[in-house]
Amino acid sequence: MVRFLKPRKPGMVKQSNQQVSQSRESSLPDTSWKEQVLSPDLDTNLAQIKAILDRCSDVMYREFIFAQNEQIRLALIYTDGLTDKEQISEQITKALALEVAMAAPGQEISKSRALEFIKQRGLCVNEIKQTDKIREIIQAILSGDSVLLMDGYATAIINGTRGWASRAISEPEAEPTVRGARDSFVETLRTNTALLRRRISSPNLKIEVFKLGEVTNTEVAVAYIEGIVNEKLVAEVKSRLQRIKVDAILESGYIEELIEDHPWSPFPTVNHTEKPDRAAAMLLEGRVAILVDGTPFVLTVPNLFVEHLHAAEDYYERFIFTTAVRVIRFFSAFISLTLPALYIAAVSFHPELLPTTLLLSIAGQREAVPFPVFMEVLVMELTFETLREAGIRLPRPLGQAVSIVGALVIGEAAVRAGLVAAATVIVVAFTGIASFTFAYSASIAFRLLRFTLMFLSAAMGLFGLITGVALIGIHLCSLRSFGVPYLSPAVPMTGTDLKDVVFRAPLWAMFTRPRLIARQNQERQEQNLKPAPPETRPRG
Amino acid sequence: MKKRIAALLLITFVIILAGGCWSRVELTELAIVLGAGVDLAEDGRILLTLQIARPGAFTAGSEGGGRGKEAASWVISAEGRTVPEAERFLAMKIPRHIYWGHCIILVLGEELARREGTGIVTNFYQREREPRENIYVLVARGRARDFLETYSSLERTSAQAAGFLERMKTGYTVQLRELAEMLVSRGIQPAVTAVEVTEAGTMPGQVPGGPPPPQKEVGVAGTAVFKQDKLIGWLDPWETRGFLWLKGEIMKGVIIVPGPEQPEKLVSIRIRRGKTKIIPEYNGEYPRFLVKIQVEGDMVEQQTRENLATPEKIKLLEEEMASEIKARAEAALDKVQGEYGVDIFGFGEAFHRKYKKEWRKLKYHWDEEFSRAEVEIAVDAQIREIGLLTRRAGIPEE
Repeated sequence: MVRFLKPRKPGMVKQSNQQVSQSRESSLPDTSWKEQVLSPDLDTNLAQIKAILDRCSDVMYREFIFAQNEQIRLALIYTDGLTDKEQISEQITKALALEVAMAAPGQEISKSRALEFIKQRGLCVNEIKQTDKIREIIQAILSGDSVLLMDGYATAIINGTRGWASRAISEPEAEPTVRGARDSFVETLRTNTALLRRRISSPNLKIEVFKLGEVTNTEVAVAYIEGIVNEKLVAEVKSRLQRIKVDAILESGYIEELIEDHPWSPFPTVNHTEKPDRAAAMLLEGRVAILVDGTPFVLTVPNLFVEHLHAAEDYYERFIFTTAVRVIRFFSAFISLTLPALYIAAVSFHPELLPTTLLLSIAGQREAVPFPVFMEVLVMELTFETLREAGIRLPRPLGQAVSIVGALVIGEAAVRAGLVAAATVIVVAFTGIASFTFAYSASIAFRLLRFTLMFLSAAMGLFGLITGVALIGIHLCSLRSFGVPYLSPAVPMTGTDLKDVVFRAPLWAMFTRPRLIARQNQERQEQNLKPAPPETRPRG
Repeated sequence: MKKRIAALLLITFVIILAGGCWSRVELTELAIVLGAGVDLAEDGRILLTLQIARPGAFTAGSEGGGRGKEAASWVISAEGRTVPEAERFLAMKIPRHIYWGHCIILVLGEELARREGTGIVTNFYQREREPRENIYVLVARGRARDFLETYSSLERTSAQAAGFLERMKTGYTVQLRELAEMLVSRGIQPAVTAVEVTEAGTMPGQVPGGPPPPQKEVGVAGTAVFKQDKLIGWLDPWETRGFLWLKGEIMKGVIIVPGPEQPEKLVSIRIRRGKTKIIPEYNGEYPRFLVKIQVEGDMVEQQTRENLATPEKIKLLEEEMASEIKARAEAALDKVQGEYGVDIFGFGEAFHRKYKKEWRKLKYHWDEEFSRAEVEIAVDAQIREIGLLTRRAGIPEE
């Protein structure tokens, strides 16, 4: 290897890492409270919690007196905005300060019995939990639960009172469909798990919750169907999740980048969806879903390349139509990767590839164009990418202005001014449209590689283009997602799974699950499900 | 990892940049040759004429329409001792790279074909990288230059018009590759499409304030017959039909036969498909050939007023059809075998396939053998459809 490419000595890299982690620890405020427990004295406890939640103006403290023993002072701590206020006032404060007397009228509850009594009869909250750890208490308060402290007890009751303003379930914005369910995941984890559970009401649907993010403490749920999923896969997903030591998880993309197999590849090896029906289908094929609080995008692993060219609707429309549409989608994927490169190669290296009439027509258009084909296509492609990016970033009311400028100014005026050949505009436009026919995540990879191929074919013609495509193919063959080859079931070939690549077999013929994903439980359904009219009896 | 990626990037860039866009040519730097013609100049040198497309005339959407306003082609010639030399002299007049990749036709002047032969021309086109092997080779009656200087009312350029004419297969068509094959085979002598400059039709109402000037256009004029690579004679369009029947090449066109009851009125039969089979026989002295032609046709017109939709009448028509085709084929055969004495039908190849041993002796003087060969032509004609009418409208003349 060349001398100047040598890396620094291995020891140096390690050292600097340690330094970073040390300084990260020391810069945080005092965290000794994490290990502490409650004391029996209410005032001490309150003071300690207030000290921890110092300057947290959204945390509320409500002190009141137990209805059946005026000696017992209670304190309720919750975060305003994350809790259901009506529930707190009805089921906790009103119940304990007033209504509990109706449960046992005239009776005075002694201090020693009070905790048990409150837990059994006093509180009307459905979900309670007892703890004495400060860390858990703080966590509960900050995630929307309310914490009840009692004087004389070194323990706290955590009440499930979560309730915050959340976006209603709406139509999926990123994955629209014509036919099929119209609900989409939202930003609340609990709603999302509910959407899954509504589709798969089976005790085998397991949803395990972790907390990730040292500062954000984001809830992350791993969902899978026991009996279908490969247990090793679940273990692998969990271990990769537990490896994550970051300060924040704000979106599932954070997780994706921290658990994917090939961080350097342009191709995504983790799929995401915002459609609960699609996520459910993934689970039913033996995949694992990772739900993250705060985002409607649910990750699914392992991920195959073909998934990006499939749509949820493929399984709701009849199989003949679906197959035809998939052919278009695969063709579009190829177009969106290679068409501009092919155009450059054909026009500037191999004009003999084009029919005479077409060549003359292109030559006629190009006669007044002052740039080489490559520059022309590159500029138009960059313009298109700019327009697309602008379309996404733009405040919505301005959207029309962009489309007018884009379509009229760039398309029509550039051609009229003789800056760009009409054929180039057609090529770029068709490429752009083709890249919208399949999943956005894969189309990003294709967009990037398209430019690489354009460079290659501008330098070496078809030879460069073919080399580039071959390299992409080799790269794709080398990818794996959670142990499953990325190009399977095509490479390596799995005969039975070809039923759902380009051709989508009728549902009654799909009686096995993907072989490399649902390793343990292949059988999906009965084999003789093909519908037919009842047999008529022969006459006579 | 970093090291490897850096090395990979470096190597990639070196490869791409060192390659330096080798052989990249912009369309605006190309002079696209559509047709080439080769004549013999007066001093015996070669006159190379090129018809070059003017791309500006080919834009569809430009203001005022491309065609008519602007000439679509440019014809330019230069002399030289060889074709490549003439091409280099042309390069001094043409400001772009002379690009042969889309050359459609190669026209040989009559004089050149007769005196020098095709060999001194076609060799360049086969050897060069750019010209295709499927260029149509034509022989002009007259000068090739005149042929390329024509205009086309329907196509943009006359080279394209000639190319499409060839593709329609109304005459005998030969591409460069086929010509080369015929030249190397002893069992067949070359024949090439003959073309000529003809008077064009008119374009009524095109130019305000007067009829358009009469234009010269291209037309097919039969077949040029070669001995080795030199032109020795022509077949007119009628004889070419017979020649095509014997070759079994294309079966398009209309056969005109007399009506069964009124021979002065005619019936037209359009050929649907046909097949020709050459069966050689050899008795040790001279070769014999039985040519079996099978043909199917549809009746498309009758001038007679009789009812032809009966099995007997159809039978009669089929016999007439067969004898008509036979007459055509024999006319071509008589001319080629009797007058020119060259085997342009490929009988020799059929003979070779069947009598391999005998061929070894006969192949060196095959043209003489062919001249004294006995050829029998048997035509089996059938009429498949008689169209949407059973008889001609009007009262029968009784």
